[in-house]
Amino acid sequence: MTAACGLLPVLDQEEDTPSYEMSDYEGARARWCPGCGDHSVLTAVQRLLAAEQLKPEQTVFVSGIGCSSRFPHYLSTYGFHGIHGRALPVATGIRLHRPDLRVFVVMGDGDCTSIGAGHWVHAMRYNLDMVVMLLDNAIYGLTKNQTSPTTPQGFRSNTQPHGSWLPALNPLSVALGVTNASFVAQTAEWVPSHLYATLRAAYAHRGLGFVRILQRCPMYSSAVYQAAVQDPARIGLLVHDDGVVVPDLEKVYTTQVAHDPHDLDAARRLAGVTDRIHLGVLFRDPSRPRYEEIRRVAPRTAEERLVELNLELDRYAV
Amino acid sequence: MTDATVSLAAPIDVPAVGCTEHTIEIVSDAGEGAQKCGQIFGAVSAKMGNGVWTVEIIPAEIQPPPRVPDGASGYRIRIGEGPITNWGDATNLAVAFNEQVLLARHRLGALAPDAILLIEDKWAADDDADVRAAWDAAMVELAACNYRIVPVPMEAECLAVVDNPRKGKNMFALGMLAWIYQRDMDRVRDQIAYAFRKKSETIFEQNITLLKLGYDWAADHLDFRIEVVPAPITEALVVMNGNEALGLGAIASGMELCAMYPITPATSVSHYLGEVFERFGGIVHQAEDEIAAAGVAIGASYAGKVAFTITSGPGFALKTEFLGLASMIEVPLVLIDVQRGGPSTGLPTKVEQSDLLAALFGQPGDAPHVIIAPATIEECFHVMIAARRIAETFRTVVMVLSDANLATGVTPFRRPVPDAQWQAAPLDLAPVPSGQRAYDWNPVTGLSRRVIPGQAGGMHTVTGLSHDEGSKVAYSSGVHQRGSAMRSRKLAVLQSLLVAPTVYGDGDGDLLVVGWGSTKGAIEEAVDRARQAGHRVSSLHLRFLSPLEPGLKQIFRRFQKVFTVEINYSDEPDDPFITDENRRRGQLSLLLRNATLVDVDCWTRVPGEPLRPGAILDAIRARLPGGGAP
Amino acid sequence: MLSDTRRSQALAALVRPIAEFRTLVRDALTQGEAFLAAQTAGADERTTQARAELGRFADGHIDPARFAALFPAVRRADPAALAVLRQSVDTLRALIDRDTEMFVADVPPGGQLGDVVRQALAELGRALGAVSLIELVRSERYRAGEHERLLAPVEFPAWNNAARQVAPPLVVTLDGADLHAGALARFTDGREKIVLVVRGPCAPAPLVRCITPGTLVLQTADGRGLDRVAAFDGPAIAAIVPEGAATFLHDPATGREPWQRLVIWHSGEVPKRAVGGVSSWQMGEELKLLADQARTPFSIPGAGGVSSPATGAGDAVDRIASWLLGQSELPSP
Repeated sequence: MTAACGLLPVLDQEEDTPSYEMSDYEGARARWCPGCGDHSVLTAVQRLLAAEQLKPEQTVFVSGIGCSSRFPHYLSTYGFHGIHGRALPVATGIRLHRPDLRVFVVMGDGDCTSIGAGHWVHAMRYNLDMVVMLLDNAIYGLTKNQTSPTTPQGFRSNTQPHGSWLPALNPLSVALGVTNASFVAQTAEWVPSHLYATLRAAYAHRGLGFVRILQRCPMYSSAVYQAAVQDPARIGLLVHDDGVVVPDLEKVYTTQVAHDPHDLDAARRLAGVTDRIHLGVLFRDPSRPRYEEIRRVAPRTAEERLVELNLELDRYAV
Repeated sequence: MTDATVSLAAPIDVPAVGCTEHTIEIVSDAGEGAQKCGQIFGAVSAKMGNGVWTVEIIPAEIQPPPRVPDGASGYRIRIGEGPITNWGDATNLAVAFNEQVLLARHRLGALAPDAILLIEDKWAADDDADVRAAWDAAMVELAACNYRIVPVPMEAECLAVVDNPRKGKNMFALGMLAWIYQRDMDRVRDQIAYAFRKKSETIFEQNITLLKLGYDWAADHLDFRIEVVPAPITEALVVMNGNEALGLGAIASGMELCAMYPITPATSVSHYLGEVFERFGGIVHQAEDEIAAAGVAIGASYAGKVAFTITSGPGFALKTEFLGLASMIEVPLVLIDVQRGGPSTGLPTKVEQSDLLAALFGQPGDAPHVIIAPATIEECFHVMIAARRIAETFRTVVMVLSDANLATGVTPFRRPVPDAQWQAAPLDLAPVPSGQRAYDWNPVTGLSRRVIPGQAGGMHTVTGLSHDEGSKVAYSSGVHQRGSAMRSRKLAVLQSLLVAPTVYGDGDGDLLVVGWGSTKGAIEEAVDRARQAGHRVSSLHLRFLSPLEPGLKQIFRRFQKVFTVEINYSDEPDDPFITDENRRRGQLSLLLRNATLVDVDCWTRVPGEPLRPGAILDAIRARLPGGGAP
Repeated sequence: MLSDTRRSQALAALVRPIAEFRTLVRDALTQGEAFLAAQTAGADERTTQARAELGRFADGHIDPARFAALFPAVRRADPAALAVLRQSVDTLRALIDRDTEMFVADVPPGGQLGDVVRQALAELGRALGAVSLIELVRSERYRAGEHERLLAPVEFPAWNNAARQVAPPLVVTLDGADLHAGALARFTDGREKIVLVVRGPCAPAPLVRCITPGTLVLQTADGRGLDRVAAFDGPAIAAIVPEGAATFLHDPATGREPWQRLVIWHSGEVPKRAVGGVSSWQMGEELKLLADQARTPFSIPGAGGVSSPATGAGDAVDRIASWLLGQSELPSP
C-alpha cells in the first residue's frame, strides 16, 4: 500500500474548500448516439458525485473498451480508459495501492460478461470497496452490432444473423453465485430516479457494489428492452427499507415485491425469474470480508526498511 | 543446541589430493532429500571461504516413479579456491541413491570421464530380479567410461539409526562428503540446525547421528580425500539464489506491490516475498491470472509508487496487451521475466534465453520500452534498484530478463550495503501547476512528469487510444506520429546516458564473444582458457538490450570475427536447407546485426541446462584461424 | 508497573495505525528536506544523488552526471516560504524524534479526560498543518499572512475528512475515577482510535454510552479484542479495565443489529461505593444498558417486510433511528 495518502489537502479551515455542483464533474462532451442510455447513466453518476461531494482529484473512473467505456472521458475526475475486459484488474491495483481514492468501474456487457468474465468473478470475490457498473445493452455497439453473452436467444446481429444461438447469460445469477459477493443490484437507465438511488446505495455499501444497469442501444438493440420501457407492469420493484427507496415511484411501477436484501436464497430465486424484470437491491451483506482490509499492511518509512533489510541480509550472510 | 555433539575425530591418515576446483553432485529419486544435502554442503563451503556455484537438478514431474532415469533429482555444487561464476563442465564426484538416476547423468554427459561415483549398493542384491538385472545392466553401461565406482551400503548403515533409511540417507551422504572434503563440522552442524529449524529437536539429533555415521563410514572405508583450499573471507558476503536476490532487490528499491500468478520458474520470487514483504509495508497479490497480474500492477503503478509483476514465458505472452497499454499511457512498470525453455509450455524448469525478441517486439503496434538483463546473481539484486528508477524517470516499462539458471543457482556475493536513496521517493501528491498536461512531453527528450490521482488540478483520463499531450483522443492526423515519436525518443535519450561496455580481455583481437544474461560466467571462463592457450579472444557482456549499449560498432570493428553465445535456438549453417539467407540466427545476434551492420555470427544451444565453459571453448576454437589449434 | 505493561500492550495493538501516521509524517519530512536540499544543490550533489539512486547495477553502465542533467534544477522558492518550510520540517522532525511517545497522553489524577485528548490531538494536528504547509510551499501555493496559522496546533473539529481518515491513534493513561467517557464522543469519527489504560478501580461499564452503530467499543481486562481496534476501518474506543469490570466488544462489522454486534465476555459487578462521583445506582444502570443491548429478541418484527429496522446503507440518522428501534423490545407478532 502506498503510505496513507501522501500529503494531505489543506485542512478544512482553509478558505478554499470548494463545494461541487453537478457541472463540476463534466468532462468532454459526450459523443454517444442521441437516445443512448449511457447519457442517462452519466447524469445519474454526476448527480451521485455532487451529492457525495467527492473531490474530482480523489475519484477514479476505470473502464474497458466499448461505447460505455468512453465514460471517464466525459467526467472531470481521474479516469483510466484501458483495454477490453480488463477494467477490474486495473481498479483492483488502484484500490489496493491507494485506499484513499474512490474507485468506480464502468463496463459494458462485452467487457464484464464476456472477455473479462474471469476478472468479474474474482473481483466479486475480492470484494474491494468500489462501485462496479455493468452497462448492459445486450449488444456490441461500438463495433457495430455483434452478439454479446447477454443478447437474448434468437436476437439477430451481424455475427449471428440467424439469431443468437444460446440462451442469454444472466449476470445477476452469476454475480449472486460468487462466493463473498456482497452487493448485487439491478436498475434501468430509463428509470432515472431508481438508477440514481441504486448507485447511491452501491456507493454507500462498504464492499464491491455491483449494479447491472439495463441500457438501451437505440442503434442495435432498442427492441430488447422495448416492452419493459413501454409497459411498467413488466417491471417489479424490489422494496425494502434496507434496499432502494424511491419516493413516488410506486405510482408508475405498481408491481412491488417485498424482498429483504439479506436473503440470498430469495435473491437467487428473483434473479432467475424470466417473465418480469426486477429492479432494486437483490443482495447486500456489508459484513463480508473486504480484500483491501485483509491485506492492509503497516506502511514503513525508508529508515525502517533499511533496518529490516539489514536483518534480512543477515539471514543470508556467509 | 542439544548435546548431540559429534566427536568427529577420525584420524586424518588419508592424504588429500589438492584441486583448484571440484564439482560434486548428489542425485536421487525425487523426495529423498538430495537437494537438502547439496544445499547444506554448498552453504557450508561458501561459509568456509570456497567459491561456490550450485544448481538444482530438477525432474520434470513432481513425483516421477522411483528408479527411472527421467526422475533424476538432485543438486550440483561446484566449489573452488577462487570465485566460481558458473556450474562448470562436468561432475567430478557424484553420490547416487540408485544407479538409474546416475545413468541419466551419465547419458547426459554430466559426469567427467574420470569421475568418482559413490553408489548405494543395496539394489545389487534386491529381492526383485528385475531390479538386480537393471543394476547389472547399468554397471555394464557405466563401465564403458573410466569412472571410479564405489559401492556404499547407505541404507544398510542408516538402519542402525532410523526405521526408514530412505528418509535419512541424505545426511549420511552429507557426512561422507564432509569427510572427503574436510568440511568444518561445526558449520555443518549449524547449517543442519538451520535447514531443519522448523522440525523437532529429535529430527535434528537424528540427523546429526546420521551425519556422524556417514562421516565415520567414509573415514573407515575410503582411501581418498580431496582438498579445495578455502580462501579467507575478507569482505561481508551473502549467499542466495537469483530469485531471492530479485525479491530482495525489489524490496530494497522501495517498491510496495507485486502482482503475480504462479508460474515456474518465476514463482519462487513471490514465495520469498510472500514470506517477508509485509514487514516492509509491501504486499504480494496473487491475481486470478497472468493478465490480471499485469493489470493490477499497472493499476497500482498508475496510482502510486512503481509496482512490479513477475512471470515466465507463457505468462509473459498473456500480459502482452497490457504491456502495450502501459507503453501507450506511459505508466512506469517493472516486469521480471524468469526465462525458461519455450515455446509454449516448453521446458518449465529449464534455462533458456529465448524470450529476448518476444520481450522486445512482442507487443503489437510500436511499444518502445527498456530491457535489462542481469548477468549474475549479485546483479539480480542490484538490477531491481536501477529498473525501478529508470521506470519512474522515463515513465516506461522496464523488463528484467533473468532465467532459470540464475533463478535456481546459488552463489555468494558481496553483501549489498542498503541505501535509503535506492527507495522510491514518497508519493508526490502536490497539486499540478496550472498548464501542466498529462503528458507534458519535452519536445527534445519525450520526457514528462507523471501526474497521478490525488493531485488536484491534474485530472485527466488516460487512454490506450492514440492521444495528444492532454490525453485527448487523437482525431487529427499527425497526433499519432507525434505521440509515437515522443514515446520512442525516450529510448534514445536513455541510450545517451549509457556508457560503452567494457571488453573482457584485450580491446582487439581475432574473436569477440558477445553474450547476455546468465551466461557471463561460463563465457568468461571459456575466454580465460582460450587466452591461456594463447588465443586472441575477448568477450563482451551486455546488460542493456533495449536500448542497446552504445559504441558496439566501434568495438566490433577491432575484432576479426564477432559471434554471440546464447541459450536459444538457431539453425546450424551446415544443416540441410540452411543457407546464409534463410538461416534463423540467435536472438541477440539478430539485434546486433541490425544495430551495427556487422556480420555477427552466433553459436547457440538449447540443451535445457546452462552452457558449459568447455562447450563454449570448443565453439571459440572452431571460429579461430586454423581451428584454434594451439 | 502494571499500567506500563498495559500501555505497551495498547501501543502494540495500535502498531498499524501508528505506522500509518508516522509514515505520513516521515514522508512529508523527507519531501520537505529534499526540497530544501535541492534549493542549494549543484551539479556535483545532483550527480552524487543520481548515482546513489540508481544503485550499483548502474556503475559502469549509466553515467550519473548525464542522468542528473536530464532534469532542470529545482526553481528557487522565496525566502519567506522557505522559512516556513524549515519551521514545518522542524515541527515534523521533533515529532518523529518522540517516536511512539507522540501517541501517548496521560490524565493526571483529577484531570479532565476530554481536555487531555483534545490537547494531544491538537498537537498531532499541528503535524497535519506542517504536512500541509510543506505541500503548499512545494507547489508554490503558499501565501504569507494566510497560511502561517497552520503552524499552530489544530484541534480535531477543524480536521477535514482526509485528516480524520489518517487520524493518529492515541493511548491515554488515567485513573479509573477520571474515566468519564462522554467526553470522547466528539472524537469518534474517521478512523480515530483511542485506547484508555485505566489505573485503579473504575465503573464496571464506563464505555457503554460510547456505543453507536458505527463505532467500535471495547472493554478488555486481558487485551482480548485489541486486535480488532486497529483492524476496524472506522472510529474505535477501547479501555483496558481492571479485573471485575465488564468486558465486551461492540464491533460494527459483525452485524446490522445491536445484539449481533455486541459480545459480552464478562458482565461486571456493581461496586458498592461510588467511583469518580458516579453512584452505584448509575453504574448499575450502565450495566443494565449493556445487557439490554446484547439481548436477542425472540423474533425480528416485520422481517422480510418493509418495516424492519434498517441499518447500514442509510445515513447516520437512519442508523441511529434503527439503533433506537433495536433498543425497544417490541412484542413478537
